[in-house]
Amino acid sequence: MTQSTQMPNRTNRAIRRYIKLYLLLIRTSIRSRMQYRFNFALGSILAALIQLSEFLMVAIVLAKFGAVQGWSVYEIGYLFAVMTFSKTLYRTFGDEVHHLESYLVEGELDQLLTKPLPVLLSLMPRSFRLMLGEVIQGTAIMIWAFGGMLGSGQITWWAIPQTVFAILTGAVVLFAIGLATATCGFWTTRISMLQNMTEDAAQTAARYPLTLYPNWMGGLLLTAIPVGLVNYLPALYILRGELGIWVFPLLAAAACLALLLALRFWTFGMSKYQSTGS
Amino acid sequence: MISFRTLLYNGNTRLYLALASKAYARNIQYRGSHLLHNFASAVFGYLYACIWIGLGRDHSLGEYGMIGMMQYITFTQASLWVSSFTTNGLGIPQSVRTGQISLDLMRPVHLFAHLAAKEAGQIAYQFLYKSIPVYLIMLLALGLMPAEGGRTLPLALLALTGSAYLSICIGYLIGISALWTTESSWLHWGNQAIMNLLAGFFIPLQWLPLWLQQIAWASPYPFMLYAPTQLYLGKGDPALLLGTLAWCTVLTLVCLLATHVMRRKVEVQGG
Repeated sequence: MTQSTQMPNRTNRAIRRYIKLYLLLIRTSIRSRMQYRFNFALGSILAALIQLSEFLMVAIVLAKFGAVQGWSVYEIGYLFAVMTFSKTLYRTFGDEVHHLESYLVEGELDQLLTKPLPVLLSLMPRSFRLMLGEVIQGTAIMIWAFGGMLGSGQITWWAIPQTVFAILTGAVVLFAIGLATATCGFWTTRISMLQNMTEDAAQTAARYPLTLYPNWMGGLLLTAIPVGLVNYLPALYILRGELGIWVFPLLAAAACLALLLALRFWTFGMSKYQSTGS
Repeated sequence: MISFRTLLYNGNTRLYLALASKAYARNIQYRGSHLLHNFASAVFGYLYACIWIGLGRDHSLGEYGMIGMMQYITFTQASLWVSSFTTNGLGIPQSVRTGQISLDLMRPVHLFAHLAAKEAGQIAYQFLYKSIPVYLIMLLALGLMPAEGGRTLPLALLALTGSAYLSICIGYLIGISALWTTESSWLHWGNQAIMNLLAGFFIPLQWLPLWLQQIAWASPYPFMLYAPTQLYLGKGDPALLLGTLAWCTVLTLVCLLATHVMRRKVEVQGG
């Protein structure tokens, strides 16, 4: 066997070993959560109710005023559901990235630095978050929105695989935004205020069509904090036939670029990390 | 039991004032950082205002109009720091997890009054260092003047004081539930979500469907945000304050009763 064939084999073995370890850590995380079954069930029900009440606020506005900037209630429901699914995927696998502040404040990140894995890979599986409530709510709204639009002939069944693609690329974009925001914590330690703006406020904004906002804000939500790529841009093509099929390669490229930039920023931030512990 | 405890409150006024002022003083150490957080809160408020501005371009916004809805969101966003963003379960869930709750119950002070006094200090701090800056930032960002030239502010602030007390009572009841569930953060978040809907944070209550309006008015939530905001906008009847007073009385009794029940339920966790 030549040296050039040995190298990929070694990389493949390392990746397989890591995936095995990741699955084991996820199983452990689920098992620890299931020690408190009542809490898990109550948390899931309440999470679904919280999500439902948030959608009700949007639905009530639509019921009162009809279409929003030409977007029907089903289309807005679709925007809401895609954002819910993408966010659920991101937080299911990357919840600890969102909670990096506690690691920085308590000095717990030091422990992760001693592990024989990249810090990000040992951080992520520490909490595999089962977000059953969000899945139930997202599914219910998506079925309702799809039912309405399929019934009126606005979309075809092709919209389903296209939407799955948008949800996946959207999750990557949200993860990249979350990772870049968390990385700022290597300088500022506290990141909750920044997360309020780049994650919470931005995701809330993207539940409505971006044309509702001033131009500068719409532009910001498509570039600097690109939550508009999660649901608004794909919806323009999938639901309204605007733009073109090139939206999908664009989404994939944007998601890859966002992830790459966030990872590079993370690596740079890690090199500047100073422990806060005593 | 309840009347005995009521007597106990009267004798401890100085203690409760000390607890409130300590909670206030603890927070003031971080006022620089908290003032920065206000920027994030104002961004949220600005975003909600933008949604109404966008809607106002195509639709008439009823009795409020676009300016009225901007005033509405400005006041509700600033008031959240008094009526909604209180300590999760007044810190009881944490006490349950560490076992501290058993010591708290042994103190010669009623648990409800003790925690309510501490939270009152916290809310007073949040009002001064969060609500007022957020209100001013939003007025500036949206180019507004105080509604009715500020003449309605005293009455609105009186309603907001009642709202703060209601939020303390609800927080206490959520905290007490941790004795049965060990974890009540979901109830805390659930309460905030319901409040956004039923207290009229984003949508005035008269625009809700009738069935939801009926549910809202059967709860204390409208008196926590909607009533103070209506008084601020000069659209509310001062008699709304009677509703606030009635709910304050009812929830106080429920909190005292709940404390009586929870005393029989304490299990010390950990070891």
